[in-house]
Amino acid sequence: MAKTIISLIALVTLSFNVAAVAQDSEEADSREEFRSIDRDVQTLKKEVLDLNRDLFLLEEELLFPANSQVAFFVSMDVGEYFELDAVNIKIDGKEVANYLYTAREADALIRGGVQRVHMANLKTGDHELVAIFTGKGPHVRDYRRGATLNFNKGIGAKYVELEITDRVKKQQPEFVIKEWE
Amino acid sequence: MPRGRSIVSHLRSLLVLLALVVPSAYAATTEKEPIVVEDPHYGEVLFYFYQEDYFPAIVRLLAAQEQQKLDDHAEDAELLLGGMYLSYGHHLEAAAIFERMLAGNVSSDIRDRTWFFLAKIWYQRGYFEKSKEALNFIEGELPDNLRREALMMQAQILIESGEFDSAISLLQNWEGKTEWASYAKFNIGVALVQSGRIEEAQQVLAELGVLNPFNEELTSLRDKANLALGYALLQDDQPAAAKLPLQRVRLEGPFSNKALLGVGWADAEMDNFQRALVPWMELRSRDLLDSAVLESMLAIPYAMAKLDSISQAADHYLNAIEAFYEESNRLDRTISHIESGEMFDQFLTTDPMGSTGWYWQLAQLPEGPEARYLFHLLAKHEFQEGLKNYRDLDYLHRNLDTWQGSIDVYSNMLETRKEAYEERLPRVEDALGRADLDGMVNHKLDLDSTLNSIDKSHDWLALATPAEFDMWGEITGLEATQALRSDIPEAAEVRDKIQLLKGVLQWELEREFKGRLWSIRRDLGDAGEALVDTQRSRRQIDETMRNEPLKFADLSERVYGLGPRIEGMKMRVDDALADQRTFLQSIAIGELQAQKERLDVYTLQARFALAAIYDISSSTDGEAQ
Repeated sequence: MAKTIISLIALVTLSFNVAAVAQDSEEADSREEFRSIDRDVQTLKKEVLDLNRDLFLLEEELLFPANSQVAFFVSMDVGEYFELDAVNIKIDGKEVANYLYTAREADALIRGGVQRVHMANLKTGDHELVAIFTGKGPHVRDYRRGATLNFNKGIGAKYVELEITDRVKKQQPEFVIKEWE
Repeated sequence: MPRGRSIVSHLRSLLVLLALVVPSAYAATTEKEPIVVEDPHYGEVLFYFYQEDYFPAIVRLLAAQEQQKLDDHAEDAELLLGGMYLSYGHHLEAAAIFERMLAGNVSSDIRDRTWFFLAKIWYQRGYFEKSKEALNFIEGELPDNLRREALMMQAQILIESGEFDSAISLLQNWEGKTEWASYAKFNIGVALVQSGRIEEAQQVLAELGVLNPFNEELTSLRDKANLALGYALLQDDQPAAAKLPLQRVRLEGPFSNKALLGVGWADAEMDNFQRALVPWMELRSRDLLDSAVLESMLAIPYAMAKLDSISQAADHYLNAIEAFYEESNRLDRTISHIESGEMFDQFLTTDPMGSTGWYWQLAQLPEGPEARYLFHLLAKHEFQEGLKNYRDLDYLHRNLDTWQGSIDVYSNMLETRKEAYEERLPRVEDALGRADLDGMVNHKLDLDSTLNSIDKSHDWLALATPAEFDMWGEITGLEATQALRSDIPEAAEVRDKIQLLKGVLQWELEREFKGRLWSIRRDLGDAGEALVDTQRSRRQIDETMRNEPLKFADLSERVYGLGPRIEGMKMRVDDALADQRTFLQSIAIGELQAQKERLDVYTLQARFALAAIYDISSSTDGEAQ
């Protein structure tokens, strides 16, 4: 009986060796199939990305034509004295954006990212922008500060940057609004 | 938007960006250096990039490049795009960018590191040939940690392609006592076993089997080496020697099942079936997915039969057959679940809005009876990469769906705008027709010329107010009165008074003359500026009226052209999703079928052995009778 079982075990081992060889060739086939599908997926990804670019540009031109477009950006430099929670933006007394930041977004700002927080269509002429920044200031105290800018909207797109910087001497954050043409 | 930070050179930024996309590749050699943002559009791309939202980041970068808004960051943007393509799993496009940039004037240090980086990405995606090519492009000395990894990759590629001797000679001169040295040793051991040089392999693996590990990875490597050594010795008919390395494998670890099985076989080979039962019984309670556990279910009754516990052996064979049957049924259910396609939808709903691309990993398996099989499947490289693609394709599908909805809104918006424009146009044209701008300009020019002649002739009376002018007329009128010419004292007195009044008025007018002239000139100047503004506005209106229909035509063409493009792309994404699903299904089902076949073979073995036991029992009973 023992002989029978040993031979059966031997058979099993043999069958595994055969299976292993078969598996190797199956793996090679499966890898080739994966690569073929992967190449198709890569091509498709590129085409969808290009299509998204065209759609993105169309959307911007359609919703915010260049002659009336004003884009508002938020940026942070260093950010040691201020932990940003929210930004509230009013244009000509009317609230247009109230943005709450996730930790990931705030971190992206600290690392040098610039967020386009609002896009608007404004008539040529003078306008007033009021931005309120809320967050944690030095010593983790609640901090709320405002900044105002009177700006003139000419012909052509205009960019406005709400910049939070550190004033090292005073160990305080500083909120500056800058215009870009 | 200068940020008051250090200046970043082009070459350094390549390292920074590469470090950002694959931190491990550069972490040891690149200090954290901020990127200076000179342009809000570039900063906006970084905002998404730092959040690992690669798709919107790439779209914004491509859009800004198209609009030529990244002039201050042209080269950095190209590098960043390459890096993001990689992170998004679009390695072919990324490689094309890097190769293009590497063809330029780049230092050999950066060139070599970038080739290394590309080789690593291709190796991970199974493009071994491309990976090998990239490694061959490395000309100089890489930093130590990268050099070791590159060498290991090269050896692994050689092993994958069956060139064991080349792999062995490549790794044999390995220097140092780092983790990499241990991996190199293991790979030499494997290559030696695969090329049939068992004795040499034993020596290499034995050294590795007693190493003192300082992390989980090395402990696992030690287990692997001990397992390989133990089985090599078992194959070489050295069961006593095989036991030692097999017993060094941890009891709770990925290799413990096979080690326990091997220890049992070593004892069995030495006819110590009682001892062999100890590790095999331990295996009985473990997961049937492992072939070592399946085999133990046959090995136990085999040992019992050897110990003359025939009835117990028969019971265990029956238990094994029953367990194999139930497991086989479970496998059938899982296979039909996979065939229905529901499983892949579950994968997507488990983590619906997470990140896409290269670094995505399934955080949690979908719940259900098939989860334990999936766990094993996920260890398969192609399955995992295929799942990433499947997920990315699903993201593309949803993205296109959203755009399809938007594009309908945009076409409506465009039509409404066109209608509003056409409705307003006649009113505007009428108003413009009534406004005589040229007449106003001529009038202003006449006024300029009159003022000039007043100034030249010092005509102070011309600038008198109407009241002053009337007064002046009244005075000069009185002056001409006949009665005042008579030679009487009263007339002389009135004449003197008139002369006085006239003199006072003239003196006043002359005194005011300069001020009035200046004030009128200023008002005329303002009017002139207003006229210029009006003319400019008029030109803009004319230009808008000329361009607006063209703009509408261009936007209409784009809106109506993009609709079918989205539709077509969606169909292709759907097809690719179906292909990817079929591929994943075939891997998963293939794997489960193989397991089922193993179960069938084992069931057959158990039945044969059981029949043999019944045969022996009946013949023994017959002899007894």
